[in-house]
Amino acid sequence: MITDFFKKILGKKNESKNVAKQRLKFALIYDHLEVSEDILEALHKDMVEVISRYFEIDQEAFKLDIRRSDELSALVVNTPILSAKRKRKQAQPDPT
Amino acid sequence: MDGKIIVVTSGKGGVGKTTATASIGAALALEGKKVAVVDMDIGLRNLDVVMGLENRIVFNIVDAVKGRCKLKQAAIKDRRLDKLFLIPASQSDNKNVLDPEEMVRFSSMLRRHFDYVFMDCPAGIERGFENSVAAADEALVICTPEVAAVRDADRVIGLLYARSITPKLVVNRIVPALVERGDMLSHVDMVDVLSVELIGLVEMDDQVVVSTNTGVPLVMQKTSKAGAAFRRIAMRLNGQVDLPIQVPEASGGLFKRFRSKFGLKK
Repeated sequence: MITDFFKKILGKKNESKNVAKQRLKFALIYDHLEVSEDILEALHKDMVEVISRYFEIDQEAFKLDIRRSDELSALVVNTPILSAKRKRKQAQPDPT
Repeated sequence: MDGKIIVVTSGKGGVGKTTATASIGAALALEGKKVAVVDMDIGLRNLDVVMGLENRIVFNIVDAVKGRCKLKQAAIKDRRLDKLFLIPASQSDNKNVLDPEEMVRFSSMLRRHFDYVFMDCPAGIERGFENSVAAADEALVICTPEVAAVRDADRVIGLLYARSITPKLVVNRIVPALVERGDMLSHVDMVDVLSVELIGLVEMDDQVVVSTNTGVPLVMQKTSKAGAAFRRIAMRLNGQVDLPIQVPEASGGLFKRFRSKFGLKK
């Protein structure tokens, strides 16, 4: 099925090596994302912080995932929101 | 002497690391450099048998690193190329018998005695790999034009960059007819996917098997295309960085050229 997809987008040029190349590109993107765990952890921490400025969230239940379908890689964020914050929490003091 | 340590690695097994190590080492010895090739596949030694030196092993890399023997007792001089030396692997230990710190210390000694030291890295990314890259200045990544090999090479390239070792790619076992037909990844595809510098292209060559059967160095067989490619890689390593990369071409013959002229080629 995945090779059918690639054959479709490549049209007549469906030489097997082009299928291989596209498959490899996707596989490597995913491998790179999976492999850099410290980056994912840092991203997780930053995202919790940013979202917490606007919403009260359950920080323990915050989930960050890389999902991969046939066509794309996606960053999926799932978090239960407890409530919206009334005032935006200032990230830095105002320079004025 | 201030030798350079080059690790020959790939990730995937069976792509030609040992052949490349033996051939490039021999080619540099032919250029007059004093070269040591070290079999780091502890427990599964094969560099010695590929080079035809299996009957001359007395001491091995583990003996030398642990100080049980002197370096020159473990380094076997190849009588055909008197500047080429082999330090064989041990066959009775496993890869955990050595650690990277020991390899760094041992490598300082190797640098004093040789112009070039090639570490023939085992497949994988565990202790054998760690030991082989521990003191490496440069790296050659051997990769064949197949999805599994490319994927593993990518992983290894990432690990090498993380250690500030710049890898250079050798594409091995190229079959030009398949590349032309679109059924084999070209070196252009591979460089595109891996984003790494290319140092050589090696064509699939029957002479490789003959060379390992007889234990005669591939680079000494004048008709071997792979041997010629490894010699060019050696020259590039040795300073001729601008030596042009030769792309293997399908021979095809007269009939094929005739057909393509008349648009009969697919």
